[in-house]
Amino acid sequence: MSTQIYRFNKLIAIMLTPVIFAACSAGPIKPEGADMARNNLIQLQSDPQLASRAPVAIQEAELAVRAAEVPQENVELGRHLVFMADRKIAIATFQAQSRLSEDQRKMLSEQRDNARLDSRTREADRAHSDATAARREANLANMDTEIALQQAADLQRQIAELNAKATDRGLVVTLGDLLFDTGKATLKGGAASHLGKLAAFLNQYPDRTVMIEGHTDNVGSEDFNLGLSQRRANSVMTYLVSQGVASNRLAAYGKGENFAISDNESASGRQQNRRVEIIIANTAARQ
Amino acid sequence: MTHRLTTMKVMGTHRSPLQLITAGAILFSLVACATVPQPPNQELAAAETAITSADQARAVDYASAELHEARTKLAAARAAVQQEKMILAQQLAEQSRVDAELALAKAEAFKAKAINDEMMKSTDVMKQEMQRNTGDKQ
Repeated sequence: MSTQIYRFNKLIAIMLTPVIFAACSAGPIKPEGADMARNNLIQLQSDPQLASRAPVAIQEAELAVRAAEVPQENVELGRHLVFMADRKIAIATFQAQSRLSEDQRKMLSEQRDNARLDSRTREADRAHSDATAARREANLANMDTEIALQQAADLQRQIAELNAKATDRGLVVTLGDLLFDTGKATLKGGAASHLGKLAAFLNQYPDRTVMIEGHTDNVGSEDFNLGLSQRRANSVMTYLVSQGVASNRLAAYGKGENFAISDNESASGRQQNRRVEIIIANTAARQ
Repeated sequence: MTHRLTTMKVMGTHRSPLQLITAGAILFSLVACATVPQPPNQELAAAETAITSADQARAVDYASAELHEARTKLAAARAAVQQEKMILAQQLAEQSRVDAELALAKAEAFKAKAINDEMMKSTDVMKQEMQRNTGDKQ
């Protein structure tokens, strides 16, 4: 009885041992695709941009590839392990790419900030130069105003020098009979300095027209006096033209003895009546 | 029953090395090769979590194929549990999980790249605008 049982046990032991080894120890077949997975993993591990950016996922992929590389008796299990390894490698690759993008983002953000800064700086520069230009223009305007004021002051001073009077008809400059010899229409030498100032004034304000009127006292015939006043007015006009005043701005009239400004009874009154009046229009000529 | 009791009695009395090896071999074969059919609950839960994460990251926009595969395999794993094919169920659950994880990783990578592309584009636009303004000034 006991010998029989012993034999039976021996038989079981002999039969089971190879079964156990066959079933539970590794068979000789390495799963298909494991080598490819290893290649892919090596490629990822040797990529300088990606290798250091997903260390945990790459480690997991390494373990999965190692598991897939173990020769398997069970083809289905081998296929499963290779699939897992492939997926783990892909996951690691994408994670590394995400991290790479994030790392590049810092650089991109710097680039964008620099571009923005540049554009702001240029805008500010432009605004600054605009402001400078505006200031310059304002200065010029101020200068114009100053010049205008200066000119107005000059005009006032010159008018005062010419003994001009402001009237409704315009500025009236009265030249006394001292400029002419009695009964003559020729200008005396001393008249030049007085008329020179008038000519300079007229040249300075070229838009003003001028009327030259000759007047006499009541000594002598009326016709003679009319002719004399006209000739004297003409003499003044000729002189002004010779000094560069355009003739189309000038008009000469002989008014004779009829527009006395003083009585003709006294010598001083007659002297005041012998005169040439130069009327400078206030407004600019229409031409 | 009688037979096993007898055997044990014999083993207790003789204690030969061969008998010990035999007993060990039987025990080992029971433990190693005859898996107790337990559903792979842990793997199934992990797959489900991974799919949820991928969904929340809108992986469907970038990796719909992988996400779809993950869902299909999870369903297949549950079906395998019903059929008490536990090893198959576990493998399907594991595959479903890595599919979902891949969908998530792929979506994140695409999104990250899209952001970078957008930043590069806006920088280029700014540079062009700047050049145009400078051109106007000159």
